[in-house]
Order: sequence, then C-alpha cells, then structure tokens
Amino acid sequence: MDFLSKIGRMFIKFLSSIGSVTLFSVSSVSSGIVPPYYWKQIAKQSIQIGYFSLPVVGMTAIFTGMALTLQCYAGFSEFTAETAIPSVVMIAMTRELGPVLTALMVAGRLGASMTAEIGTMKVTEQIDALMTLSVNSYKYLVFPRLLVSIVLMPFLVFIYDIIGILGGYVVGVYYLDFNPTNYIHNTLSSMSNWDVVSGLIKGAVFGFIICLMGCYHGYRSNGGAEGVGRATTNSVVSSSILILLLDCILTFVLF
Amino acid sequence: MKYVIEVENLTKSFGGRDVLQNVTLNIRRGESYVVIGGSGSGKSVLVKCILGLLKPESGIVKINGQNTSKLSQKAMFQTLLKCGVLYQGGALFDSLNVIDNISFGLIYGYGKSQKEAYGIALEKLNAVDLDEKVAKIFPAELSGGMKKRVALARAIATNPDIIFFDEPTTGLDPITTGIIDELIVKCTKEMGISALSITHDISSLRRISDIVGLLYNGSIIWEGKNEELDTTDNPYIRQFLAGSPVGPFTQ
Ligand SMILES: Nc1ncnc2c1ncn2[C@@H]1O[C@H](COP(=O)(O)OP(=O)(O)OP(=O)(O)O)[C@@H](O)[C@H]1O
Ligand SMILES: [Mg+2]
Repeated sequence: MDFLSKIGRMFIKFLSSIGSVTLFSVSSVSSGIVPPYYWKQIAKQSIQIGYFSLPVVGMTAIFTGMALTLQCYAGFSEFTAETAIPSVVMIAMTRELGPVLTALMVAGRLGASMTAEIGTMKVTEQIDALMTLSVNSYKYLVFPRLLVSIVLMPFLVFIYDIIGILGGYVVGVYYLDFNPTNYIHNTLSSMSNWDVVSGLIKGAVFGFIICLMGCYHGYRSNGGAEGVGRATTNSVVSSSILILLLDCILTFVLF
Repeated sequence: MKYVIEVENLTKSFGGRDVLQNVTLNIRRGESYVVIGGSGSGKSVLVKCILGLLKPESGIVKINGQNTSKLSQKAMFQTLLKCGVLYQGGALFDSLNVIDNISFGLIYGYGKSQKEAYGIALEKLNAVDLDEKVAKIFPAELSGGMKKRVALARAIATNPDIIFFDEPTTGLDPITTGIIDELIVKCTKEMGISALSITHDISSLRRISDIVGLLYNGSIIWEGKNEELDTTDNPYIRQFLAGSPVGPFTQ
C-alpha cells in the first residue's frame, strides 16, 4: 500500500510540474508578443547566446567530426565500403550529432547560466523589484531569452554542421588519403536539403527547451546560494534528458 | 476616500506556520505609518502581501480603494506605478549600473527618454547624499550603506504617491540616517506622500512616524500616535523602546 501511494504521489507531482511548466511557457510567450519590446535585452541575449557559444560549438564540431570519420573508417574498411564514409559522416552530422551535441553543449553553458542568473535575481528580490517597478518580469527576462534561443540555435547547429563536416574532410583527405575531389563530391551528392533542415528544426526545438528549463528552474529557486545551485543542476539535467527524449521523438516524426 | 492603504484580517502562512494572523491596518493620505517588531515577526512579509508579491491565505488589501486581488495584471501594474518600494536587501539589479538602476522605473514604467530619466536620477542621487561619481558604478562595488541609499533613490525616482520602506536606515551611520529620516519626513509632510516603513531604529522611529504599529506573533498588538510612544504603559512598547532583555517579549 505504502509503495502504491508513493508511486501515486510521484505521478501527481510529475503531472503538476508539467502543468506549471506549461503555464510558465504560456505566460512567457504571451507576455512577449504585445508591445513594448525590450530590444536592448534581445540584443544583449543575442550576443550571449549566439556569439559567445560559437567557440564551444566549433570545438565540439571539429573534434566529433574527426573522430566520427576515423570510427567509420574502422568499421567500413572491413567491407571495403570506404566510399560511403563521406555521406555517412554528413548524414550523422546534420541529422543527429549537430542538433543533439550543440544542444547539450549549449544546455551546459547557457541553460546553467540562465538558471543561476534568474535564480539569484529571485532570491535577492530583484524579480520582486521588477514587478514593483511595473515591469513584467516574464517579458523582460524570459521572453528575450526564449526568442533568441529559438532563432539562434538553428544557426549554431548550421555552424556545427559545416565545421563538423570540414573536420571529417580533414581527417579523410590528410590522414586516410581520400581523394579530395571525390570526398567533396560524395558528401554533396548524397546531401539533401531535408538532412540539413530537419537538423535545424531540431535545433530550434532544443533551443526552446534549454531556455524554458533554464528560466523555469531559475524562477523556482529559493533558499539562497544553495537553492540556486540545486536549481542549476536541475535545469541542466532536465533539459539534457528532454533534449535526448525529444530527439528520439522528432527523429521518428521527421524521418 | 479616507485611506490610501487598507488591510483587513490579513492572514499569511508558510508551510502551515502562520506568520501573519488577522492583521488589520489603515493608512491615511500623507500619513507615515511605521511598523516595528522583533526580527522574524513578519514585517517584510506584510509589505510583500500588500504589494501583491505574496498571496495571503485570507484577508483584503486595498490600495487607493481598489481591492488588489481583484485587479487585472495591467491594472495592478498601473497601481504599482504609483508605489515606490525599498526592499530590505536593496534588490538592486546587479547587471545594471547605479544610474540605470535608479532610472529603471522612469524608462520602463513611465516610458521616459534616457536623457530625461538620467537627469531625474542624478537629482535623486543628490537627495540621498551620494556623489554623482557613483553613477557608473555597479552595485557589487558599492558599500552596504551606499547600496541602501541607491535603492532608496530608485524607490523615490518615480515620485510615487505611496512609499514602502523596509528598514531604510539599517546599516547607515548616524549622520546619513539623519539625512534619510529628513528625506522621509519631507516626502510625507511637504509632498503629501503616504508611507509605510519598517524600522528597528528607535530614534528614526521617533522622527519619521505619525502612527506606530507593533507587530508581535503575527498581529498588530499595539497601535498609537507618535506622541503616545512615551505616554503608553503598554509593557511590550516599554520593553521594545528600552531595548531591555526582560519583559513580555522574552517571557
Ligand atoms: N518565502 C518564504 N518562505 C518561507 N518562510 C518565509 C518566507 N519569507 C518569510 N518567511 C518566514 O516568515 C517569517 C517572517 O519573516 P519576515 O521577513 O517578514 O521577518 P521580519 O519581521 O521582516 O524580520 P526582520 O526584522 O529580521 O527583517 C520568518 O519566520 C520567515 O522565516
Ligand atoms: Mg524584514
């Protein structure tokens, strides 16, 4: 009996948190679509989210692109199917690794900092102060971040795709002695728009999730520095799990 | 409309523990009401309930005759536009420098231009006895007392009709305390602003209050005029003013 009631309680808690996340996202989005628009905040977040993420995303891309090409070679050379390597690398990068790895890196970098910043504002009454200065804090804090994340994540994924495929090319041509012209030809001939676009769509969805979790956990933090730390962990863990879960679902849908 | 703020039977609890129980208080226009009470007695919670930042379990709060729980979000923001709030911890925005903090409400709440807002902000900086040199400094680089004064300047920047000051002079030296007290008196006496303040400083209390309310165990157990502070024989007030360790508070 005790066991059942525990499961029941957990289930109810799960449902109620889904409810409050939904409510949170609805109030954030609806607060932002009516004027005035806080352009300064949007510009500031664009720099934070877009520009400062580039080094992390670029490095992830080049290393995974190189490693993936080597691994493919190890597997494919057994069946003398080396010519398939460029297209396999391209598909893996654009459809799967690009969006997922970019999102996981950005979740660690930005999701965490959003939670820490908003959480600190919450526990030091700065969010209350926004309210009593007649500014809707969802509109001022959450909406600009959401907007910028959704718009710029596909851009980051695109950068990842290019650098990742380039990394593969470097290993393929300079280490595995592929013919450069053939490598490029194999990559491009098998590439369809949909490979890239489906990855970018995933990127936009993941951007929304990262920002939503980052801000939501920030707003929910209480109890000083320790509470903010806990909220930050929750934010990164929950957005990472949601990214992987949604990646699976979206892959079925977009396949 | 006699009262600017009306609080009726306000009850607020956290996790089953009642912090406020049936608190009732009224503040007239231009009147300075000061709440005193022991640490943790719920003074800050009271102010947050009045401002709608915390939702009370029961009770009515009216600002300018309007029941705040019945107001739409937009109307509530309109009401808050007329209120200036000083938080106990200052609550300055760390990502903005001093002058942006002070002009925040003018720019975002009232839609003033940056130039105009900065002009007013510098004026208010002078009013709280701070040098214009601090204008470009960020809150993290200010001393505790300077933070408090910047927060005070932000609270009065929009020329509010009602001010809420949570411990405006805690952590200030006696001279600055005197300057701030004078500022509060000027606000209420000359500009007709209504004030709800919280203080632990007895000399400030005597200077700035018209009406004093003593919060104890979640209720206002004594309320009286400034002059009555010395004449009342309420044992709680006597102990509080004397700062004595023996008395009804400590029994
Ligand atoms: N967000 C909160 N969650 C849970 N309990 C709270 C919260 N805010 C305040 N309390 C509790 O309410 C009580 C009153 O707190 P409050 O901050 O109003 O005290 P105070 O009278 O302002 O004290 P001080 O003079 O020290 O500022 C305290 O016991 C505190 O623990
Ligand atoms: Mg307090």
